Amino acid sequence: MGTQLQNIATVIRSKNAGPCLVTFDLMFKNTEDFTRAKNAATHIRREVARLYRKSENEVRVIDYAPSNAVKITIPRDIVSGDPGDKDVYGAQQHSLLLEIEI
Amino acid sequence: MSAIGRLLEDFEKNGRRPLRVLGASGQLGYGIPTPALEEGLTRKPDMIGCDMGSIDIGPNYLGAGKMAPTRVGAKRDMRKVLRAARKLDIPLMIGSAGSAGAKPHLDQTLEIIREIAAEDGLHFKLAYIPSDVPKDVLVHEIRAGRVTPMDTMPDLTEEEVEASSQIVGQIGLEAFRRALETGADVVVTGRACDTGIFASIPAMLGFPLGIATHMAKIVECASLCCTPGGRDTILAELDDEGFVLESMSSKRAATPASVAAHSLYEQADPYDIREPAGRCDLRNARYEAVDARRTRVTGAVWHPAEKTTLKLEGARLVGHRALLLCATADPRFIAKHVALLEEVKGVVRDLVCEDTAPDYDLFFRVYGVDGVRAWPALPDPMPREVFIMGECLAPTADRAEEVVRTTKQYLLHHGFEGRLSTAGNLAFPFTPPEVVTGAAYRFNVFHLMEVDDMAAMFPVLTETF
Repeated sequence: MGTQLQNIATVIRSKNAGPCLVTFDLMFKNTEDFTRAKNAATHIRREVARLYRKSENEVRVIDYAPSNAVKITIPRDIVSGDPGDKDVYGAQQHSLLLEIEI
Repeated sequence: MSAIGRLLEDFEKNGRRPLRVLGASGQLGYGIPTPALEEGLTRKPDMIGCDMGSIDIGPNYLGAGKMAPTRVGAKRDMRKVLRAARKLDIPLMIGSAGSAGAKPHLDQTLEIIREIAAEDGLHFKLAYIPSDVPKDVLVHEIRAGRVTPMDTMPDLTEEEVEASSQIVGQIGLEAFRRALETGADVVVTGRACDTGIFASIPAMLGFPLGIATHMAKIVECASLCCTPGGRDTILAELDDEGFVLESMSSKRAATPASVAAHSLYEQADPYDIREPAGRCDLRNARYEAVDARRTRVTGAVWHPAEKTTLKLEGARLVGHRALLLCATADPRFIAKHVALLEEVKGVVRDLVCEDTAPDYDLFFRVYGVDGVRAWPALPDPMPREVFIMGECLAPTADRAEEVVRTTKQYLLHHGFEGRLSTAGNLAFPFTPPEVVTGAAYRFNVFHLMEVDDMAAMFPVLTETF
């Protein structure tokens, strides 16, 4: 039975990693939840690609055990601050992740 | 004797001891809380460092040569750290002057320092390093195949280089070190890696580069690595095996979890810190609680690079910007807004261009619908009210203003089938609802360039007060 990420993560955030990339951090309260997310990396990559309209090979997923965290990085739709940008810092791009089920 | 000279002599005469490093601010100019800074100064720090810049603030500050904080804020913060460093006679290190670190930003920062030195009667030697990259050098390196794009950027062309209003390189530890070697008490650089601010003195004293770089990467954000995170001054005590972090605000705790999590922040890779001369590998980093508010960090390893590379940042003008700020609460307008906004764009184009081709771009962001990103679908149901921001980018500010003023009038009175609210489609929070924000820029350079001789490209300049 799947659980939405927003029900088990303690942090779900987005921010630029340089002007071309946006990076998402998912942090979990314990090793058990972290391991569950880490084991679902392939599924998370597929869902992120679908929701953010990227190809799967543009989605990078890295697990980071010191913080019980999974980091996801994708290219921004347009470079930060280019004409038509809607989020220069990239700090409000996370909400499509909330309902991903793992 | 200079502040750095005294420190070097202390280590030589009295032997090795932990180095006390104070991270006073991660964004000099946005306020330094005095109680935490004062607490830090009672801990007998060996140096004070402040970062002033970032690329995350977008291309406009770099392109326009403007600081992100106000001059008043920047001068207030600069006065705090300058007076503190001179009182204790310890080095003060400041990186990425004036937010974006190009010549106009460095010039404004130096002007602030000169004013404070004169007003407060401070005496010290200042070393500064501009980090602007000359266009002819960059063109030469492009032709030599020594410039490569970062992330999703396209290859850099000579046309883009020529069109740039500012191009800077992120200078590193070696630049700060050369500045210190002039016997400077205060070092200010143009655009720089945050880590150079705090790792250069440890490097001169022979501390391991991996550990020093990891420490530098954390303290450059002041107490952001704590729980709760914040801008209070932080103290790091560095030895040959690791470092201990302590926020100078008793309300903030550096815990193993909060410090480890800092490696994720604004980084695509939490295991690597990239520098011009190499990378710092955090795969074996360990975070251990010393007590409830202090954490000890060990295990970072430095790997020197085969070639020195410089990260370049540049911005070019894309036009002049004017905005229209308005809202609507009419459900019939909101239901049809996508088509209506397109219709009004057409009306405006016919009026302001007549028979000529459009020379501007007009965008709408409809907050409540798609202001923050292009979502997969429209909201269902649609919101009760939406905020509409029209944005025009045009060759001149006057032209941009003409476009948004015309847009305001025709969006207000645009007729559509089923319209009941025939007195006007929009609510204006104030008048005029049009705002001219001026020159607009985009990042056109975010590339890596190989450099053989950093010292020749970025010489140190000095001044004595």
